[in-house]
Amino acid sequence: MSEPKKNTKMTVFKTDRHEDLAAMFFVTIAVVSVLVYMAYIVPSITLKAPMDGKVVAISVQPEAQVKKGDLLYSMEIKQKKYVHDTLEEKIVTKDFHAKTSGKILSISAKPGDVVKKDKNEILVLEHEKGVLP
Amino acid sequence: MEEKHGMAKVMAIIPGLAFMVFTLYILRTYVEPWMAHAVVLGQKGWFVKVLHLNYILLAIIAGMLYRNLMWGGKIPGWAEEGFRTTRLFIKSGVMMLGSLYTIQSLAKVGGVAITLIMAFVFGTIFFIMYYGRVQKMDRSLIGVMAAACGVCGVSAAIATAPAVRAKSADVALAIATVLGFGIASMFVSPFIGHMLHLTDYQYGAWVGTGILNSGQVLATCLAYNPTIAPGTAVAYGEIWNVVRVISIPFVVFFVTMWYWRAEAQTEHITLGGIIKDKFPIFILGFFTMTALSSLEMLGAEGSSTIHLMRTVMSWIFGLGLVGQGAYIDVRELRAAGGAPLKVGFAAGLFKYALALVIVLLFVSKEANF
Repeated sequence: MSEPKKNTKMTVFKTDRHEDLAAMFFVTIAVVSVLVYMAYIVPSITLKAPMDGKVVAISVQPEAQVKKGDLLYSMEIKQKKYVHDTLEEKIVTKDFHAKTSGKILSISAKPGDVVKKDKNEILVLEHEKGVLP
Repeated sequence: MEEKHGMAKVMAIIPGLAFMVFTLYILRTYVEPWMAHAVVLGQKGWFVKVLHLNYILLAIIAGMLYRNLMWGGKIPGWAEEGFRTTRLFIKSGVMMLGSLYTIQSLAKVGGVAITLIMAFVFGTIFFIMYYGRVQKMDRSLIGVMAAACGVCGVSAAIATAPAVRAKSADVALAIATVLGFGIASMFVSPFIGHMLHLTDYQYGAWVGTGILNSGQVLATCLAYNPTIAPGTAVAYGEIWNVVRVISIPFVVFFVTMWYWRAEAQTEHITLGGIIKDKFPIFILGFFTMTALSSLEMLGAEGSSTIHLMRTVMSWIFGLGLVGQGAYIDVRELRAAGGAPLKVGFAAGLFKYALALVIVLLFVSKEANF
């Protein structure tokens, strides 16, 4: 009896082209799942500090309805920028706007709070179904 | 292992894939947070601050340890099919990275990337053709090495091999040499980058030009800065990588023409034919993602949707990189020797060092991106 043929390929697919198509299919599924999950399944989102800094103003109240683009809060942040290849740092105030329409459920931060990126919660927003928060 | 089909194949993939997922889960959930707080030599977070370790490097190291220590140099049969999904995840991750750009931002950085990449790709090919002849290497091997070192380690070597009548051993040698160099640079580059205080833009431009394998470019960029967002090392490095990957069919055509010119059979090969057969179509997915991002169909920058999308992306990359590590066989690398190693290493080092010098001299600290 002959030896079974050894499979030395670096892919589970017949050819590289098949692998490319499978990757495209996989990405489509992943992206559509994320979009559907966020638009229809997640009822509310928690907005955490987008960068390190200090909250200087909260422009909304709990239970308030906000539209996409409305000002939510402002933060004092350290802005680093290269000017003629030299790093310059300065403190600037940056406004953060709503990425989607919805209702403010709660606000955790208050002016004066020092917050860390992705660690501290700012507010919770219930977004409209069918739109991407 | 026998080639399996249909449901049997799916079942064969599951154990290895589950093992990769489990490894990544442990690394991200327990090991990485522990490293951030662990005190070594009196310094909190020494692993992160001094060794610059993150889940990306840990994933590769874990894969290497599995293969070379735990499994004695060979992925066991039960895990083999699962680990063969590695490139699927790397390609999927590359495609999803397209969402970091808009068409306008791509156009801004693309010009610099195209100029730099094309100069380096064809510069390396000419260097190998010259130095390979000096080293009296076989023409087939020169062709494969030129493609592998010039454009994109594995894909270009495999794509060029049949056209230049290279033997399997030639291809294996070229791949082992290029990957060996890439592995070393993957661990060394973040240190050099931090030492020279390179910005993410400069670092991305450097490793995107100097490193030859897509997975290794991604890993090296994420090792420098694990954040996946516009303006980070991976966002810049990937533009360079994509430009290089797109050039594969042109390089294959060029090397093939060079090989067959001596054999007087050029008339059998057309650029159109090579593009049709060899063009890496997953790159179209990358540009589709860029188009969707430009139309804000994936959510606004900074939104929770984009945040989740990038978390998914980081897991896809992590899986691919556990597999990438497991495909690094130290014994195979040791087997790459003689003139091909000399030529491949010289070309790799030359390209890596020259790319750094050019980036330091001519690439500004910050991109208008």
